[in-house]
Amino acid sequence: MRLGGIDTTSVLGYAWPPVVEPGGRVAFHLSSATLKQVDLSLVRVRCGDPDAAGPGLKAVPIASAIDGKRAVRHQPLRPGSCAVIADRPVLRGIDSFSVGAFIWPTLPGVAAQTILARWRDGAGWRFGLDAGGHLELAICDGKAVVVARTSQPALGREWLFVCGSYDARTGTLSVRQVSLDPQAGRDRTASGTASAAPGLRWIADAPLMIAAQAIGEANFDGKIDRPRLCRGAIDAAAMRALCEAINPPAGDADLIAAWDFSIDIPGQTVRDRSANRLHGELVQIPARGVTGANWDGTANDWRALPAHYGAIHFCSDDMQDAGWSPDFTLDIPADLRGGYYALRMTAQPADGDPVDSYVGFFVRTPRTAPKAKLAIIVPLATYLAYANGALRMDQVHAESMLEGLLVLSRDDLYLQVHREVGLSTYDTHADGSGWRVSSAKRPILNMRPRCNTFNYGNDTHLIDWLEEKGIDYDVVSDEDLHRDGLAALSPYRCVMTLSHPEYYSREMWDAIDAYQRSGGRHMYLGGNGFYWRIAFHRDLPGVIEVRRDVTGVRTWEGEAGEAHLAFTGESAGLWRSNGRAPQRLVGVGFDAQVFDRSAGYRRMPDGENPRVAWMFAGIAPGEMIGDFGARNGGAAGLEIDRADPELGSPPAMLLVASADRIGYGGMPAPEEFRTFHRGLDGEQNARVRADLVYFPTAKGGGVFSTGSIAWVTALSHNRYDNNVSRLMENVVKRFIDPAPLD
Amino acid sequence: MLNNAPDAAHYPVDPTRSDLVEEFRRSPKGPHSRELQMLLHRMRWESPGGRYVLYAVEPGKRWMLGKLPGKCNAPVELMHNRVYDSPAAAEWDVFKLRWEALTGQALTEPAIGN
Ligand SMILES: [Fe+2]
Repeated sequence: MRLGGIDTTSVLGYAWPPVVEPGGRVAFHLSSATLKQVDLSLVRVRCGDPDAAGPGLKAVPIASAIDGKRAVRHQPLRPGSCAVIADRPVLRGIDSFSVGAFIWPTLPGVAAQTILARWRDGAGWRFGLDAGGHLELAICDGKAVVVARTSQPALGREWLFVCGSYDARTGTLSVRQVSLDPQAGRDRTASGTASAAPGLRWIADAPLMIAAQAIGEANFDGKIDRPRLCRGAIDAAAMRALCEAINPPAGDADLIAAWDFSIDIPGQTVRDRSANRLHGELVQIPARGVTGANWDGTANDWRALPAHYGAIHFCSDDMQDAGWSPDFTLDIPADLRGGYYALRMTAQPADGDPVDSYVGFFVRTPRTAPKAKLAIIVPLATYLAYANGALRMDQVHAESMLEGLLVLSRDDLYLQVHREVGLSTYDTHADGSGWRVSSAKRPILNMRPRCNTFNYGNDTHLIDWLEEKGIDYDVVSDEDLHRDGLAALSPYRCVMTLSHPEYYSREMWDAIDAYQRSGGRHMYLGGNGFYWRIAFHRDLPGVIEVRRDVTGVRTWEGEAGEAHLAFTGESAGLWRSNGRAPQRLVGVGFDAQVFDRSAGYRRMPDGENPRVAWMFAGIAPGEMIGDFGARNGGAAGLEIDRADPELGSPPAMLLVASADRIGYGGMPAPEEFRTFHRGLDGEQNARVRADLVYFPTAKGGGVFSTGSIAWVTALSHNRYDNNVSRLMENVVKRFIDPAPLD
Repeated sequence: MLNNAPDAAHYPVDPTRSDLVEEFRRSPKGPHSRELQMLLHRMRWESPGGRYVLYAVEPGKRWMLGKLPGKCNAPVELMHNRVYDSPAAAEWDVFKLRWEALTGQALTEPAIGN
């Protein structure tokens, strides 16, 4: 496609694993729908942001075995979550049968959807909704399809009991749906029958499928709760009793399967309570730990009453594992420095714009061989939470927030029409529910050079600055912090969290906290940090879960009763609502967004305290700090944090500078006010501000926080000769000095 | 889902307020007077005539006007004859389109920067 500019999407891919150690191996999984061949190289990313207001794109080529031309192929994506139950002998030779479940459809009437099926090559049976939203049971002997369907389409987001049966003696096919709340115009109770040939038998060699007819085909949108399957054509009342029972009698020889999705909610296996043990595997990580048809508000935590959480919320656009075959691997040389790296893929198609596309990945410093005194923590959880965000295009608030037109990149144009790559945890699925899970096993357009600047691009401004100043650093990732805990940080005298370390698991938080308490020094160089409580998956690397509750800047809200993480059972939502406001950890915590213009910090009385004279060496007392920068002209902007003793800012903290003159574009976070009133914006409200703070911690450690995402984008101003850069140098120098801080 | 329906913005537009037009034309990026803020909120939230966006043909250098299709899996409509060399020029152009859509009156002031 020729649009002018650079084509960043005609070839895409992902690296696995996304974070690799020297001596390890990374595989590249690529796909292109249009190109046959690309030129490959490996680059070390010094700055991934091409914006001329910052350092500019700096991708340093590193000679490697993958240099050169390579053929690429098209590898399709098959979105949609479901459960696959492998074929077993017990599934052979069945003739009459009955199916039942509770369902809560979220997108009825758009396309055919499957509740339960055994279908292959146009033969078998499929129980689901037709394209008009009517319950149907279809049966086919490979020639003629016979369908029984109800006359009433299902209502969205209303529970239905649904059942169907085939009687092989008579050939009668029947379906019935019953509304669980039938009053006030909601009743969709209805039945349907049809006549098929008698004596049909189940097809052989096909898996049983829940929520899809086959992988990526006729997927279900919404919840399915307690699906049942049994031999013989039983009536609706008998099936209803089987579905109501959490634990139907396993000795019932006619019971083929009775799945209980409340067993091991963190896992990816669905369990059958019948004697047949027809367990299945989940595909594309649908949402578990969601309220079932019997949920009544007695418990809000699935761990307290799993029986009320026997549903799974499937989505036809769930995408957490692209499943692409690897094209080639790269052995990471033992002496490769830790850092941001990317596979660069270029091409010059005859009929299109020049292609310059990247696959981002990270090299961490070997656990057993830390080198530098300083380490940066790559915010993989934040990159995953924001992976492939399309929200700006789907909701109308972006232009008002920016006080200007939304500027789309080539990546955005691609995402607008290619939702199959899977969206971010800021987005909503086609059915309106929030994306709760994000995985690195798919192309992530905004975790690579040239991507939209938020997060990855901004963070590389810091990388660029460290390189410019010749400051040695090691590299650790969020997932290392999560899985290794304090051990990931303890080799270092100082660690840096970058522009937006927003998503933290308990394990990650505990590691930072323990590090600070053991004499470690922490430079928190961003805004909106330590905000959402998340989990990494127990078994699957590179996968996080986010649940948005009823507070915080949230682009969607979860359903009532679904604020606990399925991966762990922990209460999700904000850390502030979980007894850990960020102020307690790093002195400051999120207070506002300001996307139209950024500000500078003015020195506060604490900034003159001799205890921090080292911080301001070379900076005059009256100087504004960071009244410049690549993001809207200031170091305080985008998302900003403030100190507050009531929220835990420590008594020993010094508030050394503050950007408290934020304009009317500064809007406070919802948790920052209890009642609505005029005057909440930054022009009138002094609580809309970014605070620069410092405090000593136990055993000579210390914390320095900037409370602003825009901070790092001021570093390269005036060829790195500016007071943000100077202040940073002063802090790094002092923080890697072993002399105890006070 | 958060409810941010486009028709929720209903500040009335006064077609006689050429002073607000002039204020915007002089300084598209602001800061703006309270009344202009409210007019702009109406224009941006409702976006009469379609959801206008810019496509950065060359980031920081050249922008093309586009319209979001109002549904996913449909392409952004790009207007190849509306290309700008500054965001301010694009803001003014879109302001004129929206002003006309809301008031029925075309603005004839020359574009800035072009
Ligand atoms: Fe954020």
